[in-house]
Amino acid sequence: MTNEFAIITHALSKSYGKNSAVRELDLSVKLNRITAFLGRNGAGKSTTIKMLLGMIRPTCGSGAVLGGEITDTAASRNIRRRVAYVGEDKPLYAYMTVGQIVRFAKSFYPDWRSDTEKKLLYEYELPVERKVKTLSKGMRTKLALLLAFARRPDLLILDEPSEGLDPVGIEHLLRSLVTQASDGVSIFFSSHQIAEVERVADHVCILEKGRLLVDQSLDELRRSYRRIDLVFDSSIPENEFRFSNVQRIETRGRHMSVFVQSNADTVVERARRLNALSVDVSPVALRDIFLETVREEPERALV
Amino acid sequence: MLWYKSWLETKPRFLTSLATLTLFCAVFVYHAQGLIRPEFRLDLNRLLFVNQQFLVIMWVLSVVLLGMGGIVREKAIGTTSLTLALPVGRFSLLISRIGVGVLEVIALGLVPWLAVVGVMSIVRKPFQISQVASYVVLLVAGGLVFFLMGVLVSTLVGGEYTAPALAFGVVLLVAIISDAWFRDYSVWRLVTGDLSIDRSTYLLPRHLPWLGIFGSLCFALLMMAASVFSLQRRDS
Repeated sequence: MTNEFAIITHALSKSYGKNSAVRELDLSVKLNRITAFLGRNGAGKSTTIKMLLGMIRPTCGSGAVLGGEITDTAASRNIRRRVAYVGEDKPLYAYMTVGQIVRFAKSFYPDWRSDTEKKLLYEYELPVERKVKTLSKGMRTKLALLLAFARRPDLLILDEPSEGLDPVGIEHLLRSLVTQASDGVSIFFSSHQIAEVERVADHVCILEKGRLLVDQSLDELRRSYRRIDLVFDSSIPENEFRFSNVQRIETRGRHMSVFVQSNADTVVERARRLNALSVDVSPVALRDIFLETVREEPERALV
Repeated sequence: MLWYKSWLETKPRFLTSLATLTLFCAVFVYHAQGLIRPEFRLDLNRLLFVNQQFLVIMWVLSVVLLGMGGIVREKAIGTTSLTLALPVGRFSLLISRIGVGVLEVIALGLVPWLAVVGVMSIVRKPFQISQVASYVVLLVAGGLVFFLMGVLVSTLVGGEYTAPALAFGVVLLVAIISDAWFRDYSVWRLVTGDLSIDRSTYLLPRHLPWLGIFGSLCFALLMMAASVFSLQRRDS
């Protein structure tokens, strides 16, 4: 079963004192997919990634990346050999020049692609002799991406990869991600830019307060979430639409918006029985699904 | 390449220290050679001994600074995730730092004394090369423990100012305590040559205090083991 997953975790948890950063996370990321890892700031995305790469130890639970146990020191080293990682802050050694950091990174990976390195150095207009500390944020991001793309990784883990990039850079990045995926590289990336995620991701995981709330393919998500706009001739109590699949109801006088997860027909049927003047069912953007999902969380936590 | 990284990381600190120590020794010995301090004219051996006293102070400050850095410091400046994402263990990271550091520590002990030899040759003063060699051995082999004290502190504290401040504090404390209660076992006195020098001739004996040097090296190894232990247990 592990063979079809790039990442799999079971009840993976991390606590710092009394604070839980990640709570019993059961994550499964399939191979050869682009999986988006979404969540608000402090949701536990970076902590999860750091645990997957053996940078921090889980408090409890287990996990495997490309078949290797994340808590096993030797296996973790092997995981890092096969995984390219771009961190949230695009960490780079300020005291090195662009050329030095490329040479340094290259030395750890025998299957380094020099042609890709040269191509990206040219495309990103990175000055080889310049010190990293003098680069702009965007250039640092590009350099970090070069270091990841010039390798031949089995899995690419990117934490906010488009941060600091201009629209041209973002476009280039998204195209690169699709190219990498078509070459058989599994991609697991976190981002706050949901419009970008929607363009490239096959699968979406949403984390909130350390817990996984959504783990579905983007197509499934799009199919299952619907917004139903209703108009009545008089105001209708919201209770009439409190079904288990209803996420949220907004009422403005005779107008009502119902946000449902799966089976919109129950709401449509009830609306027709209540003589709705207008029933309009429309698909929901990933951004709205994300906002709804994380908005629900405080109520769920109280249950 | 980890050694290359360690070298690039410490290069500015090392070169600045090397230039300062070398310049200090050359100028000190040149001036003391009759230009400013005529009393040294007749007592070259004493001049070398005094040079070692001053050199040790600056050398210890320099090697403690060279011991700073590593993963804990990287966590504070945000590059730790780049380093820890490399397919290498924490032990290798630490060993490469120590390896490069030891070479730099040796250079910091050797080059200033080579400058002294150069000045002596220029002003045509006779000196015993064996005495210079003895001072270098005492400084480097006996004083390696100070570098590893710096390394150990750097695996515990990551602050840009707090780590060196704590390291200097520890070194000072060790020097004061050993000087007050364990005078015959003081590493500071061992390194300056104070424990073994003949006060009438200001010559170091033919046989260096190897037992003391060995003890100091053992203490240095203990510091290294503690650093490895601390780094392996760290969760970052």
